[in-house]
Amino acid sequence: MESNHSDRSALTPVKIVVAGGFGVGKTTFVGAISEIEPLRSEAIITEASAGVDELFGDGTKTMTTVAMDFGRISLKHDLVLYLFGTPGQDRFHFMWNELARGAIGAVVLVDTRRVEASFAAIDFFEKRGTPFVVAMNTFHGRKLHSIEDVRHALQVGSGTPIVYCDARVRVDVQRVLVTLVEHALDLASTGVAVQ
Amino acid sequence: MSHLDPPQPLVGGRIVRPYTMTGGRTITESPLIALEALVASTPEGMRQRRRFRWEAAEIISRSRRETAVVELAALLAVPVGVVRVLADDLRAEGAVTITDPPSVLVTEPGGEVYTDLLHKVLDGIKSL
Repeated sequence: MESNHSDRSALTPVKIVVAGGFGVGKTTFVGAISEIEPLRSEAIITEASAGVDELFGDGTKTMTTVAMDFGRISLKHDLVLYLFGTPGQDRFHFMWNELARGAIGAVVLVDTRRVEASFAAIDFFEKRGTPFVVAMNTFHGRKLHSIEDVRHALQVGSGTPIVYCDARVRVDVQRVLVTLVEHALDLASTGVAVQ
Repeated sequence: MSHLDPPQPLVGGRIVRPYTMTGGRTITESPLIALEALVASTPEGMRQRRRFRWEAAEIISRSRRETAVVELAALLAVPVGVVRVLADDLRAEGAVTITDPPSVLVTEPGGEVYTDLLHKVLDGIKSL
């Protein structure tokens, strides 16, 4: 007998997206807090459309494979949180729609040496109305810019939290996620639409 | 010639065309199943799993513990779309159930149900 069938469907899945430029530390961020080693799965997509995972195109579109890394965290209240790293390359941005659909919000990781690599992610979540926070990944404790310098460079409003974190450090990642969910709650309770 | 003709190497080095694994099906008829939707095998599915092809039988076996669509794809080393099609078929046969994420079901993000969910998520992350 399968004893665990009695609590079938007891869990509720939720999702947070981790975005940012190529090589900014997204998978490191996910891995720092995930209860499993980050896994990689692949989706086959048609480049010509926003359609994801059509197994067949109509023969006129280019099929390509996009990889995404993700981790899992079991939370109390029978919740299971999935953290998805977005594909880094710019040409996969349309995959972000699929990842952002239904997400609580997004963490935009920023490399202090290459702030501009995260512009695309910020643009995307702003336009989509997805709650997001900016997390400055300070490998080796470097803080090359002040929060206000970064806010100015990224052109994000004062309502969007910007925090420092070391993507390798679990408590830092946890703190960023707390900041994000609090921000999403603020937006939700003031009636700003999500989705 | 069509780009569909050569075998497509997949993660894990398996050389199988996705088309083969899904019996020629292309996309699911029901709305796209979320990446994080949880698949759970039913007792009936567990009893019947040997009559399914390898990939479908694996989905049933691995879903004894609720497992997300995207996780099944990674564990089976097949594209997400393959798991979507197979899981949808298995649900139709009563072999698995699929729990959609509530954030997709909740149509009013500003509503009380949604903020309740966020409070629980916040509490859960703080308690880690």
